[in-house]
Amino acid sequence: MVDSTNQTITQETPLLDKLTAGSPPFTALVQQLTQIVGQTSILYDADELLVYECDGYIVDKAAPDIVIFPISTEQVSAIVKICNQFNVPFLARGAGTSLSGGCLPIGGGVMIVLTKMKSILEINLRDRYAIVEPGMVNLHLTNALKGTGYHYAPDPSSQGSCTIGGNIATNSGGPHTLKYGVTTNHVLGLEAVLPDGTIIELGGPTAETPGYDLHGLYVGNEGTFGICTKAIVRLTRDPEAHRTMLAVFQTIADATRAISTIIAAGIIPSALEMMDHGIIQAVEEAFHFGFPLDAGAVLLIEVDGLEIALDEEVRQILEICESCNVREIQRADTPEERQLIWKSRKQAFGAIGRLSPSYCTQDGVVPRTRLPEILDFIQETEKRYDIRIVNVFHAGDGNVHPILLFDERDQEQIQKVLEASEAILEKCLELGGSVTGEHGIGVEKINFMSRIFNETDLATMETVRNIFNPRQICSRDKVLPPHQADEKSGVVQSHPARRAPH
Amino acid sequence: MSPTHSGSLEEFVPASQTELSRFMTENAATSHNQIFPVGGRTSLSVCCPSSQSGTLVCTSKLSRVIDYPVRDMTITVEAGMQLDQLNEIVSAEGQRLPIDVPQSNRATLGGVIATNACGPRRFSYGTIRDYVIGISAIDGTGNLFKSGGRVVKNVAGYDLGKMLVGSLGTLAVISQVSLNLRPKPETMSLVWFAFDSCQDADRALEAIITSGTRPTAVEYCNSKAARQIAAESRSELPSEHQVICVCYEGPANVVNWQTDRIREEWKEFSPLSSQIVETENATRLYHAFTEYQTSSDDPVTLKAVVLPSQMMKFVEAATRFDIAVQAHAADGIVYGHLPDSASSLEDVKQILNQLQKEISPQIGHLTVYQCESEWAESLPLFCTAPSGWSLMQQLKNALDPGHLLSSQRFSELVEA
Repeated sequence: MVDSTNQTITQETPLLDKLTAGSPPFTALVQQLTQIVGQTSILYDADELLVYECDGYIVDKAAPDIVIFPISTEQVSAIVKICNQFNVPFLARGAGTSLSGGCLPIGGGVMIVLTKMKSILEINLRDRYAIVEPGMVNLHLTNALKGTGYHYAPDPSSQGSCTIGGNIATNSGGPHTLKYGVTTNHVLGLEAVLPDGTIIELGGPTAETPGYDLHGLYVGNEGTFGICTKAIVRLTRDPEAHRTMLAVFQTIADATRAISTIIAAGIIPSALEMMDHGIIQAVEEAFHFGFPLDAGAVLLIEVDGLEIALDEEVRQILEICESCNVREIQRADTPEERQLIWKSRKQAFGAIGRLSPSYCTQDGVVPRTRLPEILDFIQETEKRYDIRIVNVFHAGDGNVHPILLFDERDQEQIQKVLEASEAILEKCLELGGSVTGEHGIGVEKINFMSRIFNETDLATMETVRNIFNPRQICSRDKVLPPHQADEKSGVVQSHPARRAPH
Repeated sequence: MSPTHSGSLEEFVPASQTELSRFMTENAATSHNQIFPVGGRTSLSVCCPSSQSGTLVCTSKLSRVIDYPVRDMTITVEAGMQLDQLNEIVSAEGQRLPIDVPQSNRATLGGVIATNACGPRRFSYGTIRDYVIGISAIDGTGNLFKSGGRVVKNVAGYDLGKMLVGSLGTLAVISQVSLNLRPKPETMSLVWFAFDSCQDADRALEAIITSGTRPTAVEYCNSKAARQIAAESRSELPSEHQVICVCYEGPANVVNWQTDRIREEWKEFSPLSSQIVETENATRLYHAFTEYQTSSDDPVTLKAVVLPSQMMKFVEAATRFDIAVQAHAADGIVYGHLPDSASSLEDVKQILNQLQKEISPQIGHLTVYQCESEWAESLPLFCTAPSGWSLMQQLKNALDPGHLLSSQRFSELVEA
């Protein structure tokens, strides 16, 4: 155990392995942290910590030792400095919607929850940016902009709860990224507390800033480069009009052919989402939208832009769908109908609860022309492992989200889910894709990194990470796989199951 | 601008990325020569001041297409490929990389990424950082590393591509790149408006944010720049007044509707005249706008990045110094060619000092975009240290520990 008070911490000092509740360092740490935020903004009773033992990736769990809720950048900086002084690992958490274990506190430590830092600091329409705190819920920003003619474009399916800070950490996507890009395309600058407690600003509200694009490098760091405490985001003009339609296909092959033909025709829909047979049934059972239960696949297609342009785009899309044996097309002609169609897509995850007590959402990417192959493979995997897999995903980007259904009380099923996930992601790589399009590596896919990147690639990434986070005190053991030597030195794995078999 | 070199420069032209990596490894281990990566040599005055000695690593032979899955709308090429060459290949499939680059017949992709070159269309299409989906590069010690991949959406690992965009060859030599492409629009038209006063021009620019149209580019030029652009493009651009030129792309009926609509909308700002420019004339005028930022023979070209709302204030000040000003107005990016009357280094520094005062500290930047090669070492590229400067220095030290990659330039980026 390290005595916190008089110890000189160097980059070589190992992090504290265990922080025992009630021990002298624990008590001293709690006392000092309480001085920063007050008694009502800190948790350390085991019962209260349970909520924070996992995020949206429920396969793996580890509770933090202390959870703390700062309200300002200065408080975050002070907390981080104390964590350094006590040599205790820490990590940030927003809404905890990560689907890859991005907010899993491996080895415990202090979890810094940013949900109290949720203000909009500035909205500037003339210069098309907003400055927000990291705990700001994604959808709340867009709601605040209603009526201005502008919005914040990245809209992950969890936008009703996920935070901008979390979006920046993960470089989140969403259904509209096909046309509008992902988070990194919309972040102009940010303020962050580095893992040593220093406050830095990167980028700024202007269109570009001189020097290296450090805010671009920062986005997608999955919490390992420090804690984002302020974000300057680009605002996007609202489209004048939308046309939204649901195209029902008999087979997945027909639907995927329609997708690549639409894009090859030079049309970039604002959204192009697919739901397969399994998810259609669940959604229909839950919400009664009127989907045909025997359909092989449904495409949600949306184009947006100037009113005058849309009818021609819709005509071309309908023609393409016809040529791909579409069974029927439902069009949303009113805002209410559009909202209903989107409800069916965004609530698809909610409907899964009717199918299974637990589920694991995967996040593979393939070139969009390889969608038929990956979807066939997912069907085979379902049979091979005897588990149910349904699909609802961003088809236009080739970003598949197979949802593996299981019961987390059954260890055998968990193992099957891990193995089936592994097989699907491996296939994505084989088809020229990636193991994550928008959810991040987190802890879940860390073993894949050495299959995607060679040693030099990983060493360069590590060099870059070490500039921000040399001791890995911040969000440890994420993104990059540990060295063999480190593993031997005893980084405690919180959950053996998270190590998917090779 | 083609500087004449007083330093001693050797040239190395690798035939493959592996050969380049080997060369860099050996250089780091034994000869420790300064390395200056060059592509089309269109931005040498920024990256390679004349007095230096070392090796020009030329990517001209690294120009192969590695993979072009047409229907996936992505392409992977070696970094020495010229922009025009790339656009010719993808244009045959109805696609394009929508980045405007001056001298695109020479400029290479590696160079575009390293200098973060862009032009008018950045307002609607963004910059090269928004199109790089995968990158390979060789650092100062010869390590060939990659990041990203070949699919349009990918968050596996850190985004080292962003790190290299705008890095001016100081971190690594970019060797291969995967890009996201876009469909080629059916047509493009421009509408220009002449304004008498900066106030009217600024009110018109402000109205862009609520316009019923969706411009792909909004260019501003003062009368001095307008005269030069008009001459270059052989167009009837008014030469006695400041000009705003709004660009539209898309299906013909949609473009026509918008050009009519913007003229209607802007009547209230009392333009002295306005005209729609179509077909080849539009292409020629647009090309002149793209080239203008690097076309000048003037001794110094400055670049200012300010908030669009504060741009006209800066433009007015620059115009008072007889600077020819062009701006990607909706993005607040201003290029200014200093007049011949600024004939000494002292004159230039004085103008830069005065203009710096017009820019709000922390939210605007003045940089030297191009200059006479013999002045390059005396003018800091960035007039003030950018935020995150100490992290940038650490990054430089980590990727190029021997300080072999365009290093003197890097240390001079900010005036001490």
